[in-house]
Amino acid sequence: MIRITGGKVYDPANGIDGEIKDLCIDDHGKFVASVSGGRTIDATGMIIFPGGVDVHTHVAGGAINFARAMTPEDHRRTQAFMRTKTRRSGLGGMAPTTFATGYLYAGMGWTTVNEAAVPVLSARHTHEELADIPIVDKASLTLMANNEIMLDLLEQGEFERAKQVVAWYLWAAKSYGIKAVSPGGVAAWKWGKDAKQLTSPIAGYDKLTPGDIVTQLARICDEMGLPHPMHLHCNNLGAPGNIATTLDTLKHLEGRRAHIAHSQYHAYGGDGWDTMRSETTQLAEYFNTHPGITTDAGAVVFGDTVTITADGPWQHLLYKLTGRKWGNLDVENETGCGIVPYTYRPSNLVNAVQWACGLELLLLIRDPWQVFLSTDHPNGGCFWRYPEIIQLLMNADVRKECLQKIPDRIKSSMVLPEITREYTLSEIAVAMSAGPARALGLKEKGNLGLGCDADLVIYESDPDVLKMFGHPRYVIKAGEVVIEDGDIREAPQGKEFLVKPAYDPATDEFMRPLFEDHYTMSFENYPVEFERLEHPELRDCIPVTER
Amino acid sequence: MGGKVTCTLGEVKQRADFIIYWGGNPAECHPRHFTKYTIMQKSRFLPRGRKDRTMVLVDIRETKSAKAADIFLQIRPGKDFELITILRALIKGQPVADEQIAETGLSRAVVDDLIARMKRAKFGCMFFGMGLSMTRGKHMNSAALLCLAAEMNAFTKFVAMPMRGHGNVTGADVIMRWQTGFPFGISFNRGYPRYNPGEFSTVDVLVRGDCDAAFIIGADPGATMPQPAIDHLARIPTIVLDPHVTHTSRIARVHITTAPQGIAAPGTAYRMDELPMPLKPALKSPYPSDEEVVRRINEAIARKPFWLPDGRQPQMVATLG
Amino acid sequence: MSLQVIENATCTFCGCVCDDIQLHHDDMRIHKANHACVLGTAWFLNHTAEKKYPVALVDGREATLDEAIEAAATHLHAADMPLVYGMSNTTCEAQKQCVALADQLGGLLDSHTSL
Repeated sequence: MIRITGGKVYDPANGIDGEIKDLCIDDHGKFVASVSGGRTIDATGMIIFPGGVDVHTHVAGGAINFARAMTPEDHRRTQAFMRTKTRRSGLGGMAPTTFATGYLYAGMGWTTVNEAAVPVLSARHTHEELADIPIVDKASLTLMANNEIMLDLLEQGEFERAKQVVAWYLWAAKSYGIKAVSPGGVAAWKWGKDAKQLTSPIAGYDKLTPGDIVTQLARICDEMGLPHPMHLHCNNLGAPGNIATTLDTLKHLEGRRAHIAHSQYHAYGGDGWDTMRSETTQLAEYFNTHPGITTDAGAVVFGDTVTITADGPWQHLLYKLTGRKWGNLDVENETGCGIVPYTYRPSNLVNAVQWACGLELLLLIRDPWQVFLSTDHPNGGCFWRYPEIIQLLMNADVRKECLQKIPDRIKSSMVLPEITREYTLSEIAVAMSAGPARALGLKEKGNLGLGCDADLVIYESDPDVLKMFGHPRYVIKAGEVVIEDGDIREAPQGKEFLVKPAYDPATDEFMRPLFEDHYTMSFENYPVEFERLEHPELRDCIPVTER
Repeated sequence: MGGKVTCTLGEVKQRADFIIYWGGNPAECHPRHFTKYTIMQKSRFLPRGRKDRTMVLVDIRETKSAKAADIFLQIRPGKDFELITILRALIKGQPVADEQIAETGLSRAVVDDLIARMKRAKFGCMFFGMGLSMTRGKHMNSAALLCLAAEMNAFTKFVAMPMRGHGNVTGADVIMRWQTGFPFGISFNRGYPRYNPGEFSTVDVLVRGDCDAAFIIGADPGATMPQPAIDHLARIPTIVLDPHVTHTSRIARVHITTAPQGIAAPGTAYRMDELPMPLKPALKSPYPSDEEVVRRINEAIARKPFWLPDGRQPQMVATLG
Repeated sequence: MSLQVIENATCTFCGCVCDDIQLHHDDMRIHKANHACVLGTAWFLNHTAEKKYPVALVDGREATLDEAIEAAATHLHAADMPLVYGMSNTTCEAQKQCVALADQLGGLLDSHTSL
């Protein structure tokens, strides 16, 4: 039991904006009205937020583990977590080890993370890694928009069957929702090609277009009633002029729920690398007039990182552009992934525009309940650099300072210099916690109300925003003090969220022969055993029309 | 330079119309590789199966696998790196002298034909074995071949994959990567993982006599390692976990018999393409599983005094600059 | 006595890790491993549930499991630079325990890959 007294509470989910308020936590790690006994934390003069929620990150599974193998030089120079009697050692950096991932997230007050790209075939591996990420609660999304069995069904117009198959796959993966990466583009990459036009048929198909996949997969997510809508990485990521593709994609989603991943990478004008410019004004306008759709920034921070994405053709291009290491892993029938180390430089037009675009979207989309803090870790930068972005959002003067590092000729390609908006603390609390929790459909997260999970972060109030958000005074996860005065106190095991959407039991026998054609493992061994998950928590699926 | 362009085995089964085995003998070492994953499979894209695929074997001797190959290229021992480098040059149209090609044991006509076939392929795959990665040039050979595969993507789809053997060695690699950041050759002696093959790799450590106790599991270095390494294992307290009393067990201070994995012990093993497979043991062993024994050793050590009484290790460096 | 059958068992002998093996077994041994190759068949048929070896040996003498575990822990704890090596022929679950062991000991950790 814990009582936290005298803190200034920011709890946007309950309309609380900086009230002095006591919080009480019971022995089950939930907020309650009162407790008797237990520890009292005097938070007088301090600021209390709900624990951070990362709606889009890559922290576990085959792709990030590939990135770890490719960056030993970074492990050597990065932050090391020493082994203690109760805690495993780890390494931070561009692709942190699993244990360090938990320490780093919790260390800056984040308590829930969503691993955004899991092939079903490596779901077993991903769950093993998630189990080794301590402290935070976890969810994962299954890659579906390039699954050939599913694409074949859509090509044949078998929508109902496709829906059953998607539900079957989700349960096989034991995941929380659906991720669509560059619909059709990864399937085309299996032949070294890409899919950039929403209305042109995909390589290997007669009729099926990326636009069809977008529309039908969003409908499947809504009809299955997943707590989190379709999580979409649009086609044509990273390319100059891709704003047209992005807006076209959004039109294919009208009337559906959707979360657009890392929209920074999808908001460019121009027609080549030397004419690339920000088109965030157009994209922000779309969000401002369509309140049902959410996004995360996928913001870029300058410096070294490693990029990993299921978008194989993009990574091949990045390898050709940079001449650096290139990892690629195509996964039979389902998807692929590419890995390229990368350095974002302020003097580079493309990188500077990317940096500006992330901040612009966060600042131009008016409702913080629609746009969330993310770097698409590790693509735009590592998650442990979030406090830098918070500082840039809250302080226009710091932005001006950063803009000085950018050559004048580049500044005309961005709108950031004209933006004066500064985030309030309450808006930050929405963008880092309450908003993403709501988008994920995790009602008891990002919320300090009675009965919710007691995940919260207590900061020493400090005009230096970077210091304040980088070094919380306390972090409490499920009612347990995990970080205190800069030390990791406990590293408990978090929960893992998943769904079990209903599907016709005959789907098993429908899938078996297809599976045996497409795959190389045994059908019976493919689904991840429920017993493998540590602390699983099943969530209900309620069709959107019945809510 | 560097990295790896690869895929899961099902992609090869589905799409690879051109397959090179380099320095490996799957017919004898991975007997079902041909039939289950590669050349013998029919697929929607390669409906005639074997007839729709071309297989090349590159090796220094004509092994049983050569019978399965459409083209067998016998190269001179120790010339793998040279041949790969020549291929990397020629695919890009860079000049290579006849003498340089002849040194590898192949003729220009044969090499040109190979390159033409590689570029014509819709989906090419190179599997490489210990004949490449464990002979002169070692990891440099593997790196060169991986580069060749990456560079081939300028012309067509191409991937490469090591033919890993030794049971679940892939699982060890994958787990060490996620828990420590590194695949092997790790030291925790500063309280956090560091990597330096050559310094922290086992043969080097043993031959130098750098370790003062050894815990051996799922391996029999007493049968495979150089004599000076074995001599050191005999000098220090060595602990062995194995389903059999092995060569190493005989020089060890402690041997514990354990249940064989997948036969009497449950769990998981990774395939060479890094996909995890569940194990389904058929027998009940009179012996405990490796997992149980190592866990109990961990618990027994945890009951002993830690480095510092407050539960920390002596810290030399907290953060590296 | 009729044999029990396990479908889709996994063979861990080589890196192919075929998971389509049909095992016919009784309490003591596996009699048939359908779909397995020659290497896999030998692997499955050569291991039995017999007690062929002592549970443990400490300094060449038979010992109980508890004694052997305590002896192992004592040697490893006393060492300044212990080495944890191998991990090929074992499960991922055991491998995780091995990494934890090297971490706890502040020792060296290495696999067959380094050979």
